[in-house]
Amino acid sequence: MSPGLFLHVATMEARRRMSYRVDFWINAIAGFGAEFALVWFLWKAMFAMSGTEAIGGYTFDQMLVYYVVVILVAKVVRGVEFEGQASEDIYQGGLNRYLVLPGSYFGFKYAQSIGSLLPALVQAVLFGGLWLVLSGRTGFEGVTPATVAMAIPAIVLANLLHYLFVWTLHVIAFWADNVWSLLVAWRHAAALLGGAMIPLTLFPTGMQSTLEWLPFRALFALPVETLLGRVTFEAWVDGMLVGCAWLVVAALLARAVWRRGCLQYSGIGI
Amino acid sequence: MSRYLVLYLHCLRFSFSRAMEFRVDFFFRVGMDVLWYAVHLVFFWAIYQHAPLLGGWDFDQALVFAAGLFVADAVHMTLFSNNAWMFPLLVNRGDLDYYLVRPVSSLFFLSLREFAANSFLNLVIAVGVLAWALARYPGPLEATAVSVYVALLLLGCFITYCLHFLFMVPVFWMHNAAGLRDTFYGLNRFTARPDAIYTGWVRRVLTTLLPYAILVSFPTRALFESDVGAIAGHMGLVAAALFALLLVAWRRGLRAYSSASS
Repeated sequence: MSPGLFLHVATMEARRRMSYRVDFWINAIAGFGAEFALVWFLWKAMFAMSGTEAIGGYTFDQMLVYYVVVILVAKVVRGVEFEGQASEDIYQGGLNRYLVLPGSYFGFKYAQSIGSLLPALVQAVLFGGLWLVLSGRTGFEGVTPATVAMAIPAIVLANLLHYLFVWTLHVIAFWADNVWSLLVAWRHAAALLGGAMIPLTLFPTGMQSTLEWLPFRALFALPVETLLGRVTFEAWVDGMLVGCAWLVVAALLARAVWRRGCLQYSGIGI
Repeated sequence: MSRYLVLYLHCLRFSFSRAMEFRVDFFFRVGMDVLWYAVHLVFFWAIYQHAPLLGGWDFDQALVFAAGLFVADAVHMTLFSNNAWMFPLLVNRGDLDYYLVRPVSSLFFLSLREFAANSFLNLVIAVGVLAWALARYPGPLEATAVSVYVALLLLGCFITYCLHFLFMVPVFWMHNAAGLRDTFYGLNRFTARPDAIYTGWVRRVLTTLLPYAILVSFPTRALFESDVGAIAGHMGLVAAALFALLLVAWRRGLRAYSSASS
């Protein structure tokens, strides 16, 4: 797929996503507000009970900043996981029209996925900026131009890695009647083991070492910790290398599952 | 009443036969919920590594709370969730007509017509987890207290049903329910933490207007604390108020329903 076509598809999708403005604002305010309120109350109670200044290396203010960033970054990494994805085309037989087009189906869908990130990016800028102003930069002390520059490729890697895993789960629709449950299961597992639910430093040390070698950390914890300046350059390089290795694994897996699935695709939908 | 019971038994039979046609999905759903249970248990385990109490409960009490959450979720998923999910589609496609002309309560039929047989297996597993959490609880638990706990947990499920449908009914006017559905599930996260962590006006809202904080936490408090009467009274009042509100909203919504698809 040419870069021009990729950009065109992504732009079209971004426009489509921004056309449902009521949904956007409900989702943005209620979604972020509820998620953040939950975190605030939970950690307020936790810090009050623990009687310590820091839990898992985070003070209360740093913990709040971690969650603000992880909530917003997770939206950008995940994009739209369920709607308009490959499984829908397989179930409804809509894949047919893409198969005869002279372009990559994966490229087309990924372009759509990138376009669908626009609402998440707007929310990230809006709520991130608002928090930065309201908090007076408390908890953001570690953020520098260098950490921002390191975080951007980490977020790009996370988005692509997440998309490839989710793509593979969608493509299982060639065999399974409904892949929704698999996607939800993936979401739960990735949130817990990737640091979107709690910072990974809250897990026992032995478990943290294991998690460093799994793909989940590259999805949420690595970009967020990098942005907040909690990761050294060497640790960032190590994390990115692990993420890239998993990217290769995910790409090979996605390709293999797609090829096998296409061989038995009937094109009539269910 | 017996007519409704017979009708519901028919719905059950059809739902089970339909679920068994899609066997892979059946087991995927079971696996998904088991993983969700595991994620919650690991979450509480990790949290309690850093604090002895959360919302006034120790780890053993939090396990009972988490297990109650699994049961409440499984009941909702089994009985109501699919129906609430489908409801906006029926309104937007104009398919609601088929249900309105039947000689039974439309709210009853649309709330319960689809029984999620695959989630039923999860309910069995969730009940097993709850039995395990109660059995391993080191303190004394009387049979009466456990019975009251179960009854209040079921009342919590009824409140969840009312809330879920109240979030869906505006589709009669708004036509697009995606935002409201996301809001319901977004706010539902408040159910998954002990109510005592919420303070101030947020606590007042979460225990009255949007009573997510009482659904599982209040039954658990009734099990471990002494003020059972006040807890049961509070939940009863909230349930009655929400159900009355749902009936009014439903009637008004049906009046606004144009029967044309959009």
